[in-house]
Amino acid sequence: MSDWQERITHETPPAIQAEHELRYRLAAPLILAGGRWADLGCGNGVAAAAALGEARPAHAVLVDVDERAAAAAARELGLPEATALAADLTDPRDLQRISEALHLGEGEPPVVSCFEVIEHLSSFVPLLEWSSLLAQEHGVTFLISVPNDAFWSIQNPHHRTSWGEGAFEELRGLLPAEQTLLRQIALTGSALVGWDAPAQPYELVVAAGGEGTVATHFIAAFGPGQQALRSCALAVQADMVEQRRWERQRENDLALMQKVAVEHEAEVHALDVKIIEQGEALRERTVWFEEWRTYIHELERELGRPLSGASQEELPAAGPAEPPA
Amino acid sequence: MKVAFLLNDLQLSGGVGVVVQHARQLSTIEGWEVTLVLVREEEGTSWHGYEHLPHLHVRSREQALGERYDVAVATWWETTFTLFELSADRYAYFVQSLEDRFYQHDEAERMGAALTLNLPVAFITEARWIRDTLAGLRPGAPCYLVRNGIDKDVFSVPARVTINTDDPLRVLIEGSPSSWFKHVHGAIHAAAAMREPRHVTVVCGDRKALGDVAADAVVGPLSHREMAALYERSDVVLKLSSVEGMFGPPLEGFHRGATCVVTPVTGYEEYVEHGWNGMLTDWDDLRGTARQLDLLARDRELLHFLRANALETARAWPSWEQSSQFMAAALLRIGREPRPDADAAAARMLADVRSSIDVHGAYLRERVEFARRASRFERPLARLAGTAPMRLLLALRRRRVVKILAYPLRPVTARARRLMS
Repeated sequence: MSDWQERITHETPPAIQAEHELRYRLAAPLILAGGRWADLGCGNGVAAAAALGEARPAHAVLVDVDERAAAAAARELGLPEATALAADLTDPRDLQRISEALHLGEGEPPVVSCFEVIEHLSSFVPLLEWSSLLAQEHGVTFLISVPNDAFWSIQNPHHRTSWGEGAFEELRGLLPAEQTLLRQIALTGSALVGWDAPAQPYELVVAAGGEGTVATHFIAAFGPGQQALRSCALAVQADMVEQRRWERQRENDLALMQKVAVEHEAEVHALDVKIIEQGEALRERTVWFEEWRTYIHELERELGRPLSGASQEELPAAGPAEPPA
Repeated sequence: MKVAFLLNDLQLSGGVGVVVQHARQLSTIEGWEVTLVLVREEEGTSWHGYEHLPHLHVRSREQALGERYDVAVATWWETTFTLFELSADRYAYFVQSLEDRFYQHDEAERMGAALTLNLPVAFITEARWIRDTLAGLRPGAPCYLVRNGIDKDVFSVPARVTINTDDPLRVLIEGSPSSWFKHVHGAIHAAAAMREPRHVTVVCGDRKALGDVAADAVVGPLSHREMAALYERSDVVLKLSSVEGMFGPPLEGFHRGATCVVTPVTGYEEYVEHGWNGMLTDWDDLRGTARQLDLLARDRELLHFLRANALETARAWPSWEQSSQFMAAALLRIGREPRPDADAAAARMLADVRSSIDVHGAYLRERVEFARRASRFERPLARLAGTAPMRLLLALRRRRVVKILAYPLRPVTARARRLMS
């Protein structure tokens, strides 16, 4: 999985970074409440680090399918003692390993964040079963999110499942009944600042939500801590330089890959032509060889010799050899 | 996990296809054993069309009676008759439509189908409207939403829609003409009433029930792959159904780049957005439907807009693989949770039986009253038919000259005949 495509890095456009950061901000009060925190699909940890600011949880379990990403997240969060786990969330044995790392039953109940992960799994059934069990029997609070794919006009090749209002309704029906649901929606805006003024915070009043609002993501929380969640919003300054760089990189990569694809297509075409030519040559030589074989067999028959290259069945019946003409 | 899905038979149909798809997907999960139990006794095991499902077990009712299941799932109201005969830890009912609506008001099956919704079972359903209705009918009963997936290999989504600017509007009508609620003939009439050039294809498995119709092509029955190819060659899927469950065909059309003109039938709201990816037409408004089709035939920009958006809608729709993950999770939940309260279900069913008896009694009284009123006319009419002038008139009716002279009165006489009958 390429970082620039699916993982959040420092180069990711600010709007997307903010979108990820906001989800962790939502979870931050629970993460910092004193219990253990597990971040499933932690990636590079950029969004979580930004959301938590200077504060850090007592103990973190950082889980990703890629071991290097989990280690990078520990570095990004400045948590060298965090448990970094490489785990496949479709495998119940790996989920059991995460349970063990959470030390269930010890101290404050843990919280588990699982943002933008489910759509990457080939099967989310083990994760659903595991999370429901932990929430109901061990008091673990879960926060999960899925994207609203219905409002993306291109199909994400990294997503194994598609999500929208309907699919999210199916999902929430399978979660424990006590749940908090949130829609994450996109904000756009602008600011007028003094010509030489330094960076400073602005207080914004934004009307958001309401009927007909389209969500970019759907969030569900369940477990004892879900009631503590509060709606929130985040606006960040757009980094036009980075955005331009990111877009150019995508464009360049795309152009490069298109060129490579064209070259490959040309190679494949050339190989096809070669195969056709070789086929033709083979056919010609087969005909030529057949003619020669027929000619040699005629000569061998005239000489009364066994036919070369022929099996026992093809040999002429035994009889008095005729003298050559 | 040992699961039994109860089916009447394996005759190819939308409902059976959905169950088989789920069973097929679930059977690939490690540790799952899925059985299709065919409950209709008089029918032999017809496996035609499903030979490619080697992991599935198929059992007759008798064979299944000797086995034990974790969850037994009824999939059609008649299969609930056998549901509790099976030995299972939990019983579930996969409701694909409110099946009482398939029958007319005076048919006993209507009452029977409705009563099965009172059973003490966990419900699984494929559409939000059914879930909401069940929540109203059976508050507190567990109900899981598992929407149907789409076979993304067969109904694969192309990268883009091929623009149709030159050809006549390609209209596809699909459905069983023998099912009154599909209104296939109505759809054909609407397409025939178009003024713009069109090419109408009717897909129908039962040509006899269809009869002679004003269509450019009648094809079928078709395999899924053939249907996918046909959708790809179509601009619009026209469906004027009055009863649907999840309403699959237009969605399949969406996957191949066809938009739709449909009635606001139950299930449409899952994915059809008027003016975005399809058009809604009013009930029984064949002229209005024809005008909408004419609009699409004239305005190719609009047609392409709807088709491109239909494709986008299709892209976000779940596959069967995803849908069956929801089914698996729902079955696991059902297996884990306590059985639904049988006392409450019984009380509800008895209340419905009582009200059904009242309704049935009202129907019978109404019929007796109609018969009594009809008999008042029957005797005078019979006497009139026996009189000499009437006999003469009836005899003259066969003469060619009289037929020609009476031709302008045909609408009046036809109406009179209808009233008399």
